[in-house]
Amino acid sequence: MTSRSRFYLNRQGRAAHVFLIPWQLGFLLITAVPLLASLYLAFTNYDILNPPEWTGLENFQRMIHDDQFWASVRVTLIYVLVSVPLQLAFALLLALILDRGLSGLAFYRSAFYLPSLLGSSVAIAILWREIFGDDGLINKGLALIGIHGESWLQNPSTALATLIVLNVWTFGSPMVIFLAGLRQIPDELYEAARVDGAGIVKQFRHVTVPLLTPIIFFNLILQTIGAFQTFTQAHIISGGTGGPANSTLFYTLYIYQQGFVAFDMGYASALAWVLMAAIAVVTALHFLVSKYWVFYGDS
Amino acid sequence: MDRRGFLKVSLGTGLAAAAVAGCSGSGGGPSGGGGDVTLRYAWWGNNIRQQNYTKALKQFSTANPSITIEPEFADYTAFQERMTTQIAARDVPDIFWIASPQVMTYHKSKLYRKLDDIPTLKWDDYSKEDLETFKLDGQLNTLPFGIFTPVIRYNETVATADGVTIPAEGPGWTWDALAELLVAYSKNNPGKRKGTPYAPDHDLTFEAWLRQRGEQLWTQDGQVGFTVDGLGSWLDWWEKLRKAGGALSLSEQEGMGPDWAQVGKKVLVNFGNSNHIIDDAKMFPKEKFRLRAAPIAAGAPAGHKYLYFPRMAIYQRIDDGNLEAAGKVLDYNVNNAEMLKTVRLTMGAPTNPKVAEQAAAFASPDEKEMLAVVAKERAAERKPRYEAPPGSSTWRTTMGRICEEIALGKTAVPAGAKKLVDEIGAGIKRAA
Repeated sequence: MTSRSRFYLNRQGRAAHVFLIPWQLGFLLITAVPLLASLYLAFTNYDILNPPEWTGLENFQRMIHDDQFWASVRVTLIYVLVSVPLQLAFALLLALILDRGLSGLAFYRSAFYLPSLLGSSVAIAILWREIFGDDGLINKGLALIGIHGESWLQNPSTALATLIVLNVWTFGSPMVIFLAGLRQIPDELYEAARVDGAGIVKQFRHVTVPLLTPIIFFNLILQTIGAFQTFTQAHIISGGTGGPANSTLFYTLYIYQQGFVAFDMGYASALAWVLMAAIAVVTALHFLVSKYWVFYGDS
Repeated sequence: MDRRGFLKVSLGTGLAAAAVAGCSGSGGGPSGGGGDVTLRYAWWGNNIRQQNYTKALKQFSTANPSITIEPEFADYTAFQERMTTQIAARDVPDIFWIASPQVMTYHKSKLYRKLDDIPTLKWDDYSKEDLETFKLDGQLNTLPFGIFTPVIRYNETVATADGVTIPAEGPGWTWDALAELLVAYSKNNPGKRKGTPYAPDHDLTFEAWLRQRGEQLWTQDGQVGFTVDGLGSWLDWWEKLRKAGGALSLSEQEGMGPDWAQVGKKVLVNFGNSNHIIDDAKMFPKEKFRLRAAPIAAGAPAGHKYLYFPRMAIYQRIDDGNLEAAGKVLDYNVNNAEMLKTVRLTMGAPTNPKVAEQAAAFASPDEKEMLAVVAKERAAERKPRYEAPPGSSTWRTTMGRICEEIALGKTAVPAGAKKLVDEIGAGIKRAA
């Protein structure tokens, strides 16, 4: 490389750094500094109004004896384990149907994607109350056949299930990604499979799924992390309480309660770091296990 | 798909998310306007209260052109969250309303400026007794600007149509008599209404119950003022009422703390604050609502009656140059009936006795009902009451959760009562 071209590249590098400064400043001030501050606060007793007081591991020890903490862990784990696979399965099913060249594909794709845009909004959470509430659509339907249903949102056995349904319903985002992945699978592979006598199920099992595993893996990671951080729906539907009887007390809702209702920011910070660690571990496990089931075309 | 393709999809999605996130910010700034002094005034409520207070503050600025007021409004919960972040950033409004769980927390954190040395804020209309009840730890540093009392609100239109007579206040107006009436009504009325929403977490009536049994909500030294037995008796009263069908189920009222617009058509009475009649009655304009003071237990000690004051304050770090203007705003809030003509009486009966008299002249029928019940309680003998101590800010949320567990059969009353007392005590201890 000549000195002139090196100079040119250096100049380009400098320009790139200049353009990156706003992002770097934003990252530093809005993400990195608060992140480090919350790590410090996790080891303090801090009520916002008074200076933080160093308490060492006390906040983490407190979690062990905190019934609400364990309730929130239980609810969040059930939600992640049930809603993510259901949502991905549903999204894949719809993507397969749309991939078969339906007329009006663009309309259906947009229509199916719409709930993903609205899924975390207050309006959808309110709509859910209108559907699953005591006087909601479902109970009105049941009343027509003589069944008196109670509010699905106020029954601890069904409240979480309604939120899982809500999450599954917002399948649009993974569906679009699945659709993009399906379009990348070469037609020749299907033709070859057909020539070998493979039916639709065998084609799906031996061609589609293996070649789609990177996309499945990608969606799994994204949706798992998103499910761990679910907040808005539970907050609106339970009025911020996590009720009935803690059945919708998601982990992030509990962090919010501690931080912004009880103003126990030290404990809330500790809870947040435990969540981050849990998500990091789960994501790392996903990557570790991925080498046994994710197939990259070049491997 | 190869690794490069996978990375492309990942990167593309990440960039799209970043782009969307980048579009989600919003700008803002002060509302502006002319004037030598600019004050920030923060309050909470519903959209009607927002409009009314914004209008009243504009009227104030019109009458006092050298004072501009920047309104900062939010719903009750959001208001507390915003105050918390503003306090953390030392960016507190000059004048702010104080949510009841935070009164002593803010006091401990020295957020209030003393109010008895501001020449523009007059105290002449208040008796010495009034001023004593206004003080926190002997300091006049917050301004009570309304009075609430615990009441039973009943739907007179429905009661008349269904042939129900709500007992008059007096010897027959007891908790047991009320429970009997609610159960009997729920069993037999044409509209299939229930007696009341399930509301054992209503703080003012709970406090009335405690004081009638010689207990209190909080002690002077900032501790829980009630016993497990005292709380248990209240929860037990509600549990018996609920099991006998006298109250709505959690399903019927969609959880604790029901929305009055939803349950108002399902019940005969409601447990509430005296001021709630003003907004709540408007939701059912064809029906007439009346108030009764809370029932009284046999053997209730003298002085069990009490008044609850919503309070406002001036921020401790207000610029000295803005102080007199802030005093003028506070004076306008409590010592001037003109403001009430605009904001109405949704924040209760005026604390200034003269303003309360003037307000009666322009009050609506619902407001008159509220003024009458408060005036009666105000005239009664009252022992001191104390505000919620630091560390207790979530006590009502905890109480709601435990009441819910009891109603769902997940906790028994004695265990629930003990759990609540223990949890509140632990919070206070942590904050000490």
